[in-house]
Amino acid sequence: MRNQDEGRKDVQLLTKEKFDFQQLLQSPSTDLAVAGQSVQRTDARLKVTGKLIYGADYGQQGFLHGKILRSPHPHALILAIRTEKAAALPGVAAVLTARDVPGRNGFGAIIPDQPVICGDKVRYVGDAVALVAAETEKIAQQALELIEVDYEILPAVLDPREALKEDAPQIHEKGNLLSYNKLRKGDLEAGWREAEVVLERTYRVPFLEHAYLEPDVTMAVPQADGTMVVEGPMQAPFTTRRNLAAVLGLPINQVRVRQVPMGGGFGGKEDSPIDIGCRAAVLARHTGRPVRLALEREEVTIQTCKRHPMIMTIKLGARRDGTLTAFAGVIYDEQGAYASLGPVIPPAGGSHIHSMIMMPGPYEIPHVSVDAYLCYTNHPYGGAMRGFGAPQVHIAHEQIMDELALELGLDPLEIRRKNAFKLGSATATGQVLDQSVGLRETLEACAREFDWAGRFRRTGYVDAEKTRRRGIGVGLGWYRTSIGTAGDGCGANVYVHEDGSALLFTGITEMGQGSYTVLPQICAEELGICLDQVRLVQPDTHMVPESGPTVGSRSTTLMGNAIIQAARQVKETILETASEMLLVPASRLEARAGRICDRENPERVLLFREAAARAMARGKRLIGQGWWTPPPATLDPETGQGNPYFVYTYSTHMAEVEVDVETGEVEVTDYVAAFDVGKAINPRAVEGQIEGGVAMGLGYALMEEVVLKNGVPQNLSLQNYLIPTILDVPRIKSIVLEMPNAHGPYGAKGIGEMPNIPATPAILNAIANACGGRVRSLPADPEKVYWAIKEAGGAPQE
Amino acid sequence: MNSLDLAFQLNGRAVKVSMAPDTLLVDLLRDVLGLKGTKIGCREGECGACTVLLDGRPVNSCILPALKVQGRSVVTIEGLTRADGSLDPLQQAFIETGAVQCGFCTPGMILNAKALLTENPKPGEEEIRRALSGVLCRCTGYQKIVQAVQAAAGIAE
Repeated sequence: MRNQDEGRKDVQLLTKEKFDFQQLLQSPSTDLAVAGQSVQRTDARLKVTGKLIYGADYGQQGFLHGKILRSPHPHALILAIRTEKAAALPGVAAVLTARDVPGRNGFGAIIPDQPVICGDKVRYVGDAVALVAAETEKIAQQALELIEVDYEILPAVLDPREALKEDAPQIHEKGNLLSYNKLRKGDLEAGWREAEVVLERTYRVPFLEHAYLEPDVTMAVPQADGTMVVEGPMQAPFTTRRNLAAVLGLPINQVRVRQVPMGGGFGGKEDSPIDIGCRAAVLARHTGRPVRLALEREEVTIQTCKRHPMIMTIKLGARRDGTLTAFAGVIYDEQGAYASLGPVIPPAGGSHIHSMIMMPGPYEIPHVSVDAYLCYTNHPYGGAMRGFGAPQVHIAHEQIMDELALELGLDPLEIRRKNAFKLGSATATGQVLDQSVGLRETLEACAREFDWAGRFRRTGYVDAEKTRRRGIGVGLGWYRTSIGTAGDGCGANVYVHEDGSALLFTGITEMGQGSYTVLPQICAEELGICLDQVRLVQPDTHMVPESGPTVGSRSTTLMGNAIIQAARQVKETILETASEMLLVPASRLEARAGRICDRENPERVLLFREAAARAMARGKRLIGQGWWTPPPATLDPETGQGNPYFVYTYSTHMAEVEVDVETGEVEVTDYVAAFDVGKAINPRAVEGQIEGGVAMGLGYALMEEVVLKNGVPQNLSLQNYLIPTILDVPRIKSIVLEMPNAHGPYGAKGIGEMPNIPATPAILNAIANACGGRVRSLPADPEKVYWAIKEAGGAPQE
Repeated sequence: MNSLDLAFQLNGRAVKVSMAPDTLLVDLLRDVLGLKGTKIGCREGECGACTVLLDGRPVNSCILPALKVQGRSVVTIEGLTRADGSLDPLQQAFIETGAVQCGFCTPGMILNAKALLTENPKPGEEEIRRALSGVLCRCTGYQKIVQAVQAAAGIAE
């Protein structure tokens, strides 16, 4: 039994560590040498010369080729499967069925409910019923065709509301409702009573495909000692590893996962590598040979995760002056066949609860209720896609705000100014936003740059024949930094060598967003050396500390903090050594660009590498380790009240469109977007995220949809799943504001996902402004815009 | 017919290979000749990641039978880097402008831009966009790619 004094000492120690660290993070962001600069990306040269090795570029000598036989039916029982003919084909090394899975026959980012190989039933057209490994891809493909499967077709559930009916076919044993979550704030009835106008609208959004340019590929290499190495493009090496371990029946330390640079991810490669990695690993284990499993473009569309479709109903109450009084939302969130990243990871992780929390928008509303249903269906499954459930609800709340503004005769900006978050506002979960809230600043900056007032006056026909009509629209947005789980943490290691060069170990992955540049920038800044002295080690689970996945716009902030912590440990040694060499107190020393100098006597200079060499010779520690977790996430499961995410990024977008009122075609002609990012560690990279995100949001608004017919995806290729081309995307003016985040490196917060979110409703609002037609079921393709105009009583006269 | 002899100019050098007659150009370049800079995104000529220059004109190598380049000249992204390792102005501009994110479309974009600037050294923005409209990019929103081409052409925005 420990005495009280010992206990108190422990608590003090804990508090002291945390307190010191907080001070470290709040260092001023002025006079930075490397962080905050638009330095060239560290991997750009390899990419422009065609030298960077992506997953598909690895040599294939000695590899077997894996292929997957998928179900042709969205819902069916497997009665029998005959593989003898396939196995007998020359060049076939293995044909595997469910009983050949060595460990757990299930994988999944949150719940392992997806069979590696289906044994008793199939739940969507992408489900695997057999795996083949052969000497060539061609032979593997031929083998697939020789496998015979007897199915008993079951009625399919193709709508999330149908899924909840009493007599609906059960897709999983536990039923079709994967999660029901609710939010209750204030007194809704009082809110309706205070309202002078009440609007109710329903919005629908379809399945979206990530359409990353690089199709998925994985390589599983069994080791002589029975362990397994899997490598390939992936956003979540640790999640992939824990699934592989369970599927192979191995302890986690006997599985090694290596990330290879990605040709785009956007959330899709958070769990597609688990899918093909587990399957390749099972083939590799069985054959004892390396297996390469690559998906063709069509297979990526059929098999891998999508953006969750939703049916969203909002009932919104307000006073005549536009002040919101009450919000009631209902979400039917279509999970599809498997759980993937939908369900709740307590307290606020998973896409579904995130959607629920975000649904009321960045507005002060005293009385709020949200009921959110996450439903299985026999469709492809919803996973993570840039925005993770926030884009869908923004499409709903930003449109209804405009519809409300129209109803009240208010300017769309005015109604937002009346209600938008500011410092000190309380969200729908009751979270008080006590720092880093730049939403209103982004609104004003955007309106100024876009000349909202001027353009508002200039809406109207652009041609004498009155066929093309110009309009403008606004969309506000907010997005978290971090994933809201209890275990959201990042580890980083920094090693400095006797010549002053450094190795940086993190498990954050590069998919084009720039992490391989931004994280070394932070490391170099903290150590006080030049960027080219820092070398990032490619994420390998044997070498880098647990870092969580590269998702949720968390990387720069959470990993940046961990890197700062690690680097500071080494810097302490360096400055202590320099102090001994210069005979100057360490507190007077400063390291910058590889030089250490005495602040009071700047000519007294020592090179960083000289101090490093001396430290090494004296046996001092030049190894630093950092671990950072956000302030704890909280969310009451009954009321949805709490502080789910510790800081948010804010943004305002404004779009100008021209609508051909005869054909419904929409051209986005101009675009301005303003962001509060806390601190831009690499401003040019931030712009790149903004421009790319806006293009993605444009695609959501105007052209993207996975078309399903009786549960079967119809548009599998890039020819008929349309994403924006260079002719579709206008010039985009980005404005970057910085309201520093006290919990972020130099004040930074996330940027990866914010940009595509408000773009979609900004464009939809612009379309409505241009032609009077309001499209509430996406995408707003020409046909839908045409009918929306008709529904509105025809195009405006003037 | 088991194999076909192919002789052509590749990145300025004469090359001779024997290959299966149904070999696609992209697979010849990547798997036989070891030039991995040409990427495969869709295998149906839609995304442009597989662009190479055939007698100076951009083509989708994923849908081009290799036998079509018999006696002709092919340039891949590797061919733009000079022998001394220095970069083509387009490559340099893509780096400096921040036009490279994941990099998968980058070779296709650069080669299409190279063909454009060879024919039209000072293109307008619309002409640049039209010339690159055969390559899809999911990362950049295209803006810095256009700016990179302008920079390489010495055009102020």
